[in-house]
Amino acid sequence: MKLIDSMAYSSSEEMMFGFAKYPVTTRSGLVIGGGAVIPEVVTHPRPGKEHDLKTLARELERANTDAMQRCVSIGHPSIVIENEHVFQMTNNPEWGAEISAQSAHKISDFKQKYGLNAAYRSTIADIRKPDMINLRDSERTEKVLESFKNCAKTADILSIESLGGKEVFDYSIIRNDITGLLFSQAVLGGRDMQWLWPQIVEIANENGCVPGGDTDCAQANTAMFMAGGFDAKDIPHTLAALSRAIGASRTLVAYECGALGPGKDCAYENPIIKAIAGIPISTEGKSSACAHSDLCGNVIAAVCDLWSNEAVQYQNMFGGSSAAVFTEILGYDTAAMNSSIMLGFEKQYQACLVNSDRYRDPQAFILCPDNAWAIGKAITDNADSLYARGRAAAIKCGELILADPELRLTTIEKKSLLAYMAEMETLPEDEDNFIDFCLNKYRKVKGFNPAAYGL
Amino acid sequence: MSYLAIAMDIGTSGIRAQAVNLTGQEIISTVITARHPLPGANVIDHLHFALEIGVSAAHDILLQSINLMIDRLGIESTDVCRLAVCGNPIQLSLFQGIEIRDLAFAGKRKQQSLAIEVPKREALITHANMIQGLNLPDLCEVIIPPAVEHEIGADALAMIIQSNMQDTAETALITDYGTNAEMALIHQGRIYSGSTAAGPALEGQQISSGMLATPGAIVDLVSEPPYHRLMVLNDDMQIVKGALVDITKGDIIDASSEYQAIGLTGTGTIATIFQAIVAGLIKKPHIMTHDHQLNLGEEIRFTEKDFIEAGKAIGSVRSGHITLCHEAGISASEITTVYMSGASGTYMDALKAQKLGMFPAHVKKVYQIGNTSLAMARDLLFAPDKLEEMNRLAKHLKQYHCMFATSPIFKKVFMLELSFWTEGMPLTLYQRFLRKYGLPELDQDFSQPEIIHTVEQDINDMGKQGLITLTDIGQKLVTQMQGCVACHTCVNECPETALHISFNQGLAYMNLDQSLCDGVACRRCERVCQDQVFHFNQFFKGHE
Amino acid sequence: MTDSKNTNNIFTRFDITAEEEEHAARIISSDSILQKVGECIIEGNEELIEQVVREALKTKSPLEVTNAGLIAGMKEVSRLWAEGSYFLPQVILSSDAMVAGIAVCEQKFGKPMEKKAKVITHTAEGDIHDIGQVIVNALLNANGFEVINLGCDVPVDEVVNACISHKPVLVTGTALMTTTMSAFPRIAEKLIKSDLEIPFVCGGGAVTEEYVNSFDLGIWGKEASQAPGMADDALKGLSWIELRKKWNG
Repeated sequence: MKLIDSMAYSSSEEMMFGFAKYPVTTRSGLVIGGGAVIPEVVTHPRPGKEHDLKTLARELERANTDAMQRCVSIGHPSIVIENEHVFQMTNNPEWGAEISAQSAHKISDFKQKYGLNAAYRSTIADIRKPDMINLRDSERTEKVLESFKNCAKTADILSIESLGGKEVFDYSIIRNDITGLLFSQAVLGGRDMQWLWPQIVEIANENGCVPGGDTDCAQANTAMFMAGGFDAKDIPHTLAALSRAIGASRTLVAYECGALGPGKDCAYENPIIKAIAGIPISTEGKSSACAHSDLCGNVIAAVCDLWSNEAVQYQNMFGGSSAAVFTEILGYDTAAMNSSIMLGFEKQYQACLVNSDRYRDPQAFILCPDNAWAIGKAITDNADSLYARGRAAAIKCGELILADPELRLTTIEKKSLLAYMAEMETLPEDEDNFIDFCLNKYRKVKGFNPAAYGL
Repeated sequence: MSYLAIAMDIGTSGIRAQAVNLTGQEIISTVITARHPLPGANVIDHLHFALEIGVSAAHDILLQSINLMIDRLGIESTDVCRLAVCGNPIQLSLFQGIEIRDLAFAGKRKQQSLAIEVPKREALITHANMIQGLNLPDLCEVIIPPAVEHEIGADALAMIIQSNMQDTAETALITDYGTNAEMALIHQGRIYSGSTAAGPALEGQQISSGMLATPGAIVDLVSEPPYHRLMVLNDDMQIVKGALVDITKGDIIDASSEYQAIGLTGTGTIATIFQAIVAGLIKKPHIMTHDHQLNLGEEIRFTEKDFIEAGKAIGSVRSGHITLCHEAGISASEITTVYMSGASGTYMDALKAQKLGMFPAHVKKVYQIGNTSLAMARDLLFAPDKLEEMNRLAKHLKQYHCMFATSPIFKKVFMLELSFWTEGMPLTLYQRFLRKYGLPELDQDFSQPEIIHTVEQDINDMGKQGLITLTDIGQKLVTQMQGCVACHTCVNECPETALHISFNQGLAYMNLDQSLCDGVACRRCERVCQDQVFHFNQFFKGHE
Repeated sequence: MTDSKNTNNIFTRFDITAEEEEHAARIISSDSILQKVGECIIEGNEELIEQVVREALKTKSPLEVTNAGLIAGMKEVSRLWAEGSYFLPQVILSSDAMVAGIAVCEQKFGKPMEKKAKVITHTAEGDIHDIGQVIVNALLNANGFEVINLGCDVPVDEVVNACISHKPVLVTGTALMTTTMSAFPRIAEKLIKSDLEIPFVCGGGAVTEEYVNSFDLGIWGKEASQAPGMADDALKGLSWIELRKKWNG
């Protein structure tokens, strides 16, 4: 498979929220990345509601309806609604299909009744647990593909959070092992996506549905969560930053296979992806605090096209249901961003978003548009192999961090980063040699089955 | 003509007895208990029980179990002509049914204020009819070895004699890695002894998934990169292979094992800590895994709290060693030989123990000897004049015994150990403090000592009838608490599930398995009783 | 990119500030003489402290040397300990140095320096394991309390009599063995009979929270390091009930 070797944007100066080089139009008529930021609301059923289809469908119907109704109340012109499949929705492909159909139907109701512009993203659950089954050949794999086929009929956008490489990643992150990260994210994750995504794209195209994108949530976000805040002392933030950069080399594969965007919200590496591929992206930050904490709450909006809340459990708050409440929050966030575009202040607004977090943490630093672009460039300049570009991304990321004295690091963070850089220097140049080395080093990691990656 | 004899080691964690044929000079059978019959988790608890409920009550309970064991030895008790016991001063005093208050109150002021007449606790040969309740022929000889101080007694003497450490001209150190880690340093013919309340962690107690060294106990963790293999005790108390696990997650990588692990012993604790340190998973006192604990599969876990308990235990042992060296005027690097005794000593991986500082780094030889108390009792059966040897040794030890609790050196070093294990004080700072205190630095140059196992398992020869482990030696006590409405709060509150309620003619009866009971120091049952009708001492009223 | 140097209102790098405080020259006082006194405390230099304090007393009042030198130095030690840079043995050394330094000041002053309040500490009747008490003594001293150290193996009546004569704001007891901790409820009972509702903090190896909470006045001391905090609360006027509510359960 040919890896991308050129940048969609010639500099980060060209990158702005609301605008993508290659906007996407959904079958429901919503244009994403075409000049405005649109909120993406993600609702989640309460525990216990998944035990049968009827209950689950009713729960999500209520949540998604609440979201759309709030748009109408407040005056938000457009919205993307996403449901990430709970296990049962993918494991019983007819469930996911039913809910997708129901949601698409609701969207068209609201369109007719109020003129609300909406689209539905169905994110299939990757139930192929690497440590349980062969990723490429199992009943679960079949179910995943069947779910795609079903949901493609009615959803506007298809996505997945693929798990390839997770078993080796989990083993490596806790051992502070950068080599393991490169292997699990860039190589294994990338290879699994190279196998999976062409099939998704084909299914989407056959059904007039948009193949959206993927995310390195299973790996880079795990690193981010484990790194925690300033008061946590477990995983260095610099390692999480490197993991993020490597993650970009993995997530990019979807687009090389024909995915069109919008990229998945939890892919914090999306700014890097957008710089390379020009596709519209969904991001999440301060308004996804309901789901998790991060250190780049504002900067991550700098080049977004969809602005998401990641996931909120459907429950009551003083201001209404959580679905409605977060729709309102995201809607106002995007209204402000779109106002800045209208008034011609978008550059300044973007600068404010970036300034808020640029020096807050290395993870935020590397996602600033200029640094994200630089990492993207390193990826496209090293398109020889998945490994080569993953490594190049990590090295570039480290160099950027070390080069700016205004980005302060604690002694431990700096020491750790230097150690990772030094270790990466010693790794083989050639992907085949690297893979051989890793196949030996990680051969006994539980659940790691090289055949599942075609190795 | 009676020709049978019984050797008995009355330990804190249980009793071990062997029937012996004096004429044939062979061991016939072995009986061990899974726990001590007295309510309580450690020897102080037993003492406390005796204080509160009465020495005769404690004595009776102990003797009931001893009689049960004698019965299970599978011999004709009428043919027994001799019984030799060994154990620490508390256990032996309870056995004899003599004064124990001086053992409970180490402070002299209290002893004086209570006008306690401190018994001599010298070696004694008496007869079975002098030990109340003992089910042996009246004229059966009973041999009781001497004590040294309140905190060190016959078991320590046994340890020193059985090791033969006195036969060497070298400077040697012996330690019984148990709850009251007794230790002795021999240098130029003088023996310096000490005992430190190390805490039960080294015997697998007060550890979340801890247990004593009995079948199912994990005694070691061997690395099979990148995972670890559990080494478990089987029914014959031999070490066999357990499952292969990922200690960061508790995932069982390979479940095929020769024996199912149930919990962790003291030696397993040492091994777990060692392997975790090697794997870089410990940043004292934190465990750097997702859930801040080490998982050995099947619900067996090792938490940060456990680490602190174990650290305190390891620290107090090392503090004792350093203190003894100071007493002898030497530095630890002069010690050439080390002996490890007791169950912990037998099953512990000596090299792991060495790396954790449980004995000096630069020794040439390590002897792992088995249960010395039982061996000593056996020796006394065949040669009662060995009592003289024990008496002589006791006298010698009295001269040079070091009371750690009042030793300024011990206190200073233990403070360093506390800080080292529970605060994460770096080694460099520890060394600096040692220098400041005028003590030699800890030797970090680890040798590769010769390891000699003098026995294959804790009790080497089980006899031709083999081993019986009594798990159920606790007497079940029943009483009716007036006003009890059977709300079961006490039953649920008991941390050892030692209580249950039975009904008879409409009345609720409280049942207590006293061997499970934590004893008078706990009394949670009494405190949580909603109507305050639960009176713990009532269980034992029959013994008054 | 625009100048982002002044980010005070935008974010605070708490991880960096924590590290900086660690590395910063440990400035106790702008006055070089008092700084020297403070440094002696921080280094826990018991040998040198008397000399340094005597030198300082040539030009400064005992009150000033105590407050701006000794106590300020000890505060820095406490901070270092709280953040994990300092360890218990260092804290104890510093506390010992401080006690020695205060003794010199008191000599010059002609009478005892004013302390926050009195606290009586002891190890239970029949018990000689007093490491816990050693730590408590050092920490209370370091925090400006006057410690009346009754030692170990202290009879119940002696503790009670000391409370009657000194009327401390807090009394502590340490016990390693369960056999000796039974002295504590007896002390508590006698204190109540004498109309002294002094909070009684009990801790040590064998002592459990449930046991200590089962008698009036009893507050469980989980760690010796809690002693100064509890003493401060008692000084503020918190009753034993309020202390128990705050520190236990």
